Amino acid sequence: MKSVPASIPTGAWAVVFMSLMFAGTNLSAKEDTFTSEQIEFFENKVRPVLVTHCYSCHSAEAKKLKAGLRLDSRARILKGGDSGPAIVPGNPAKSLLSQAVNYGDPDTAMPPKQKLADADIAALTKWVEMGAPWPGSDAAASRAEKSTKAEAYDWEKFRREHWSFRPIVAAKPPKVRRASWVKGDIDRFVLARLEAAGVTPNPAAEKRTLIRRAYLDLIGLPPTPEQVAAFLNDRRSNAFAKVVDSLLASEHYGERWARHWLDVARYSEADGGFGDQPLPNTWRYRDWVVRSFNADLPYDRFLTEQIAGDLLAEKPDPAGTGFFAVGPTYVGDGGDPEAQAQAEAETLADRVDTFSRGLLGLTVACARCHDHKFDPITTKDYYAIAGVFRNTRRENFPVVPQAEVDAFKAGQQAIKDQEKQIDEWLHAATKRLNLKRPEVEKSLDEEAKKSLAELRGELERRKKSAPPMYATLHGLKDSGSVDMPVALRGDLRKPGEMAPRRFLEIVAGKEAAPYTKGSGRLELARSVVASDNPLTARVIVNRVWGWHFGEALVRTPSNFGVLGEKPTHPELLDWLAADFIQHGWSMKRLHRQILLSSTWQMSSHFDKAKFTRDGDNRLLWRMNPRKLEVEVWRDSLLAVTGELDRTIGGPSANQIWESKRRTVYASTSRTGDIYQADRFLRLFDAPAAVSSAEKRVTSTVPQQYLFMMNSPFMTGRAQVLGDWMRGLSGPRAHHLRDTYERLYSRPPEPAELQLASEWLGKNPAPERWHRYAQMLLSAHELIQIQ
Amino acid sequence: MKFLQHELDYRRAMQRQFTRREALYRMGAGIGAIGLAAMFGDKASAAGVGSPLAPKMPHFAPRAKRLIQLFMPGGPSQVDTFDYKPMLAKHAGERPASVDKKSLRNTKMGLMPSPFGFKQYGQCGKWVSDIFPQVAQCVDDISFIHSMHTDIPEHAGGILMTNLGALQPNRPSLGSWLTYGLGAETQNLPGFVAMSPRAEPRGKGANWGNAFLPGAYAGAYVNIQHMKPDAVIGNLKSAGLSRQQQREQLDLLAKINQMQLARLEQDQDLEAGIQAMEMAFRMQFSVPEVFDVSKESEETRKLYGDSEFAKGCLISRRLIEEGVRVVQLSLSIDGYDIAWDTGHENIVNGHAALAKACDQGIAALLTDLKGRGLLDETLVVWGGEFGRAPTSEGAKGRDHDHYGYTVWMAGGGVKKGFSYGASDEFGLSAVENRVHVHDMNATILHLMGLDHEKLTYRFSGRDYRLTDVFGHVVHDVIA
Repeated sequence: MKSVPASIPTGAWAVVFMSLMFAGTNLSAKEDTFTSEQIEFFENKVRPVLVTHCYSCHSAEAKKLKAGLRLDSRARILKGGDSGPAIVPGNPAKSLLSQAVNYGDPDTAMPPKQKLADADIAALTKWVEMGAPWPGSDAAASRAEKSTKAEAYDWEKFRREHWSFRPIVAAKPPKVRRASWVKGDIDRFVLARLEAAGVTPNPAAEKRTLIRRAYLDLIGLPPTPEQVAAFLNDRRSNAFAKVVDSLLASEHYGERWARHWLDVARYSEADGGFGDQPLPNTWRYRDWVVRSFNADLPYDRFLTEQIAGDLLAEKPDPAGTGFFAVGPTYVGDGGDPEAQAQAEAETLADRVDTFSRGLLGLTVACARCHDHKFDPITTKDYYAIAGVFRNTRRENFPVVPQAEVDAFKAGQQAIKDQEKQIDEWLHAATKRLNLKRPEVEKSLDEEAKKSLAELRGELERRKKSAPPMYATLHGLKDSGSVDMPVALRGDLRKPGEMAPRRFLEIVAGKEAAPYTKGSGRLELARSVVASDNPLTARVIVNRVWGWHFGEALVRTPSNFGVLGEKPTHPELLDWLAADFIQHGWSMKRLHRQILLSSTWQMSSHFDKAKFTRDGDNRLLWRMNPRKLEVEVWRDSLLAVTGELDRTIGGPSANQIWESKRRTVYASTSRTGDIYQADRFLRLFDAPAAVSSAEKRVTSTVPQQYLFMMNSPFMTGRAQVLGDWMRGLSGPRAHHLRDTYERLYSRPPEPAELQLASEWLGKNPAPERWHRYAQMLLSAHELIQIQ
Repeated sequence: MKFLQHELDYRRAMQRQFTRREALYRMGAGIGAIGLAAMFGDKASAAGVGSPLAPKMPHFAPRAKRLIQLFMPGGPSQVDTFDYKPMLAKHAGERPASVDKKSLRNTKMGLMPSPFGFKQYGQCGKWVSDIFPQVAQCVDDISFIHSMHTDIPEHAGGILMTNLGALQPNRPSLGSWLTYGLGAETQNLPGFVAMSPRAEPRGKGANWGNAFLPGAYAGAYVNIQHMKPDAVIGNLKSAGLSRQQQREQLDLLAKINQMQLARLEQDQDLEAGIQAMEMAFRMQFSVPEVFDVSKESEETRKLYGDSEFAKGCLISRRLIEEGVRVVQLSLSIDGYDIAWDTGHENIVNGHAALAKACDQGIAALLTDLKGRGLLDETLVVWGGEFGRAPTSEGAKGRDHDHYGYTVWMAGGGVKKGFSYGASDEFGLSAVENRVHVHDMNATILHLMGLDHEKLTYRFSGRDYRLTDVFGHVVHDVIA
């Protein structure tokens, strides 16, 4: 695997190109033919040193050019400064540059503040020895001189050739041979590909499997035996559509699907950053997401409110901006300016990263220190977006009527007034008695003491009667409207050229309108949901597909760039995206469309021939069997034992093991070590909330089984279930049937009945029932979706 | 030659794995024929059925197989411990240009000589402060690096830089990278264990976190003040069942799951689960054992002494003996998460107490490892996130110093009785053979058989590394 390190500091293209504009043209470039290894060495080892340690004084960027020397083009270096040529190619010993960095002469020792690292000096020396390789030739330099602005990328080529930058085109659903299989247009795209590959789709899942799948998928809870029975008995052709509609209308739908989105939003209930302080009101953002899903808030509006809900002209609401406001916010723990700059840079990086990968499927944060190595994203793009967030701060917005806020403020003011009065009274007494303040109270006469006590009594009364702090939510608020410069190598204290706030050039073009209103968040939101933005709709329909199937059409849902995967079904992806936009960005409509397809309704059954052919199921010949998310598993356990508390919304539960509420309501921290739920969720593969999660991974480790075997949670549920089984009347086979229906939505097989009777014996003690129940609850079938 | 040896070890480890599994099968776990094929065949491991912690081939022959990191959060002062600077006494109170650099609190005071005496020790004649009399006896096994430097003089960021190679807590920790790269030589314990008495170092879980690496590579944290194995691995103990009862119970679950597997014909998660369940069963008994130091000989226990930190040192040895890949033991006294930061007000009291809290334990660990022939393949690294300035803060304290500080390494392939790099004559800045934290991390990976430029993980479209785009292996400290 080729290593593509995180932030290869080969950037500062802008600097380079600008310098080439001024480069002399008549200097010979006979070393024009450097090898790619030499150029790579320069880019990796030498240019970063020059940019970091030299350019603030020796480049076109320098505020004040020192010693007339510029090191930002080969020609300039050869020409040198006041002391003559900076290098003699091939001869480090005769090169002033080498002497300076080796601190040979104290007067010319460079950089003046601190000697370079040995490795850097060695790199510069080796580079001079090589003959000072530099990319491009003088011919290229003169071309650059002529063009008004050198380009970092071939933008048009990217727009033409990279699938995700092309406009969304809704192709006509293809014709297929087996038309009877087709329930909707989705099926045409899927079947056409299968037919072309000579693979047949799996048969439809049986009804029990189907209804269980639908429940787990849409509301994250298993169906009750009654719900299964009703569906089995409903012979009408729209029976399943009715199930889907009822699930989409359930408030539990919002809980289940909010959790998917919260992965993208790297949601946690603590600040993150260096300290991970708890944020008390993050749950209001979580509830907003739940409500938005339940209300089928159109996705374009859903995003707009998360970026700029507070700035909307119509019905402004900052609740959604919690998407950014509850993100990790870094602060330095001392007063060191370097650390402060680092902290701010990290916070901005979180915002840009969450924004770009989460909403657009682009890794814009890679362009923090240098232009993106693979995708057409410049550092200017990065700082154009970062600038929007730099003009934004976190604000605690009241969520109560203004009168309540006013009453709180009045109460606080009354306290302050009284404190002031006491202070003034004491001040006057100090003067009157000509004493020092601490001695005054001891020297007061009875009457004076009494009036002071009265004043203090009044203060206590005011404190008691003051209304408590009103409830708030964490949102965003504008704090300015200024552009920021590119930070050279990501260091905010090394400003480069200005990066006016605007949308990404690859999408919005060179003439992208700058953002000027406040922070620019509302304009940014408009750019995200603009009809000609090819990314936003593709990214979300792809995510939704992935959440329904276990694998998305683009298997890198947060990276639609060059290093991401290509869609397995590009025409289907585009058709879904176009259809989604055309129908008002409705999520519920999209779910319905997918669930009512033959594709989604296929069985997940193993098929050796097809598996050998396409084990990854890229052709979509079956539904992917998969492990459930940990939240659904815990919720299912509480549901089948009849203990689930179905209350929707409200503050989170710190103590997940005492709470019987759904797992989405458990408090979680960013570092994953504060709340009870943290460790549990991580054990079962919930993503760490340190950055936007692309998708969940599943791992199988022994600790998961220790949880099933020994945790008080599991033994507790087992007791409840065991006691319930014990209490059933009638023959044991009926107990077991009811139990299996309740847990797995199916009756037991004879072998399973046999196993149970072997375990339980004739007159099992309660404990025997409990232990049996615990293993039924630990079974793989409960943590799986088929 | 060495490479062959490792290859052999590796194959032996795999062999051990295999026979263990086989034994389990014979024990009556009764794994069905399908599951069996999947579990034992090479194909199965290629398909990812094997444990994520199974031992993996390094990039080249390693010099150290495991790492014990003795982490000293808060910033121990180099000039009061291992970086002897007699010039401080001559220039006491002065503020020469070379030390006139901004510190965190931007103190403007002059040079302050160390309040502690220094003596020479060992064959190598290393000068060591009187507060580390026992570690001083081990100097002939140690490589001191006096030219460390890091990015910022703040605890939170500095600690993350040391442990994650990054200033932000969203990168995997050194221990996670190592277990990701090498797996572990035990399947009964986590591959990476982090411990501290009392407080967790600032940044908490991030210091042993896996970030975007798979969850199996997260460090398990245990507070050795309480010493509950259950804290290392949750839910380790059954509330009321005997071993036999548990066995019965697991057999029942295995049968339930096998019926499911038979219905599905093939299911990777389920197959892996059957294997993981058996490991879980064994862990219940192996984990408490490793944390139980009462079984150590009287002599060994005496060697380590009674301090909390020393107990951590002893457990560290027991953990690596069991095949744990990385142990991080952080020092904390009085519940302070950045123990060595007591140096702001008063070096004398603060540093003397801290050194006393760890001196014997560290020396005992080195001696014990050596006595057991384990030191040669175990890398021990001692150090904080930065050092402290030779100038004073207030009357008796010292402010943070990220310009230069000292870290030492011992065992696993490093030179013995050796000092590398140098700080300036007063000990503020690293001036000769400077070693950045990234270089140190690159060197640790190198000693463990990993190329820091090749140990990458693709996350969200980009290959991440512990050393980001930096790091040079310090070959000169390698024996």
